[in-house]
Amino acid sequence: MLEHGGNLAQAATKFGIPLENWLDLSTGINPVGYPVPAIPAQIWQRLPMDDDGLLDAARNYYSCQHIMATAGSQAALQVLPTLRKPCVVAVLDPMYKEHAHAWRSHGHEVRTFTGLQDEAALNSADVVLLCNPNNPSAAKFDPTDLLDLHTMLQKRGGWLIVDEAFVDCTPQQSIGQFTHLDGLFVLRSLGKFFGLAGLRVGFLLAQQAHLNQVQQVIGPWSISGASRYITKFALADIAWQQTTRARLKTDSQCLATLLQTYGLNPDNGTMLFQLVYTPHFEKLHQHLAEHGIWVRLFKELGALRFGLPPEHGWQKLEGALKKLPF
Amino acid sequence: MSFDYYPIFASTHLALGSAACALITALLLDHVLGEPKRWHPLVGFGWLANKTENMMNKFASPLGLRISGLFAWLLLLAPFMAISYVLSQGILGWIIDVLLLYFSVGARSLGLHAKQIEAPLTQGNLAAARHAVGMIVSRDTTQLNATEISTATVESVLENGNDAIFGAIFWFLLLGGTGALMFRLANTLDAMWGYRTPRFQYFGWAAARLDDLLNLIPARLTALSYALCGHTRTAIQCWHSQAHTWYSPNAGPVMAAGAGAMQVKLGGAASYYSQIKQRPVLGLGQSPAPKHILSAIKLVNRSIILWCACIVIATLIRGLYFA
Repeated sequence: MLEHGGNLAQAATKFGIPLENWLDLSTGINPVGYPVPAIPAQIWQRLPMDDDGLLDAARNYYSCQHIMATAGSQAALQVLPTLRKPCVVAVLDPMYKEHAHAWRSHGHEVRTFTGLQDEAALNSADVVLLCNPNNPSAAKFDPTDLLDLHTMLQKRGGWLIVDEAFVDCTPQQSIGQFTHLDGLFVLRSLGKFFGLAGLRVGFLLAQQAHLNQVQQVIGPWSISGASRYITKFALADIAWQQTTRARLKTDSQCLATLLQTYGLNPDNGTMLFQLVYTPHFEKLHQHLAEHGIWVRLFKELGALRFGLPPEHGWQKLEGALKKLPF
Repeated sequence: MSFDYYPIFASTHLALGSAACALITALLLDHVLGEPKRWHPLVGFGWLANKTENMMNKFASPLGLRISGLFAWLLLLAPFMAISYVLSQGILGWIIDVLLLYFSVGARSLGLHAKQIEAPLTQGNLAAARHAVGMIVSRDTTQLNATEISTATVESVLENGNDAIFGAIFWFLLLGGTGALMFRLANTLDAMWGYRTPRFQYFGWAAARLDDLLNLIPARLTALSYALCGHTRTAIQCWHSQAHTWYSPNAGPVMAAGAGAMQVKLGGAASYYSQIKQRPVLGLGQSPAPKHILSAIKLVNRSIILWCACIVIATLIRGLYFA
């Protein structure tokens, strides 16, 4: 098992601050999640049905033809490596680590690449894996460039897998509408933009033949009826999505400005997080933790990732930033 | 032979020059005058087509209906093509050709219809915009929001760029004014009969297939000109990867390349009176905003200029070659 950043309970013990007093900015999750509707009683009593309208809502929201719901994008990303014989996989670096881990675990040779200009790495790969926008580097890839990359891979039977967990704020960057093409996979998630990480719902967009293979492995009823019910509402609620996009845009600009004000220049960001490279990354991480603020430390990058604070968290963050030791 | 002055049949460099002049004159006439307001010849043709259909859409068997639909198509087109051909042979042949092309293209009216939707939409008058978009699409427009209205309008502008402009120019260059007229009338019959309803499924078959055939090359040239006049790489990608997902073999390339050229997202869910229809998505990027209606008109206009420029350059090269 890989270790993930959001382990707040350990921090609470280490710094002697009770869990409820922390401001958790260690994830890139929307702090104002989708208001979950009440669940009708029969949803709990019956097995989830495939024709409950979830997939239509998802096809519409993700602009694609073929789609399946999975228990978080984790379930899908773990199955994809089982669908190919051992091959060479190029994984963007730095990137969310579960992808490389899953492919390596199935005997594939995992190499890294730093960007689309890294042609040597991309030309020798059978499968290319990247996040758009990337987490944590916030690198963004132009859909046109990704389609060119897919065309190149597809000519030799290769795959392009794009994890779009953070794309919901800027849906124009998605290539979901091209997933009817052979060898193109897109992963989406309800965790980040909708703020429903606890729901464990993700989607895999690909050709139907590939989806059938994944379904074979996963089996039926992998998503609970309640999760399907909530997800269907969230995906169809265009008004909430528009309001939320506008709010996240404002909030992310506020966060960038706030960090700049105290000399922490965000190198790059998405609407859900800002990434700050600083030589004092460890000291800064320690300082914020002492003030009950938990951000994600990337030691290998020398960077900290700041998620968006909830409404009551801004003052606390600014208070801690005012007392920076450097 | 009047065909002499169209490129395919041309034997001297003067001929192509004459075609280029006729084309530009007809487009200028359309630009200045627009469609004839008081008496549009197509209204009369539509009346005639309805009469013909009432008389001939009677056979019991699918094959019989298909054949009678084909005959109705020929019966309606042949006399007009014959008359226009004879007229274009006369002393005033060149003028007749210009007038036939002017009658067959509708660039200005395409732009006007789109602007009648864009203007209220930009001012936030959704009711007026819904009404205006209802005039150009066969869909339930009463519930559409601004994005859906913009999408429907951009789709219509791009598709009609082929149907109302480039298809007519293509056939004009190939067969003169008679060719432009043939394209226009065939397009009208497809719009009247080319439906998969019980009434037209068999009778309208010939009109639909012949329209597909006449559009086969023009649609791809239109798609190519959209690509060259916008974001070329994106347009080619979308054409290549999305065109075949669309319902019609000719509208697919035109709309996919157009959407790619504009970097907007078209298609997707649309309501057709009783039900929501999940259409494939064409293009990429954001769904169109009202301002994209103007971008679509500009894309069509730039493509018209590109076509004219190509024809003028071809004329000059040919002139130099024969000099």
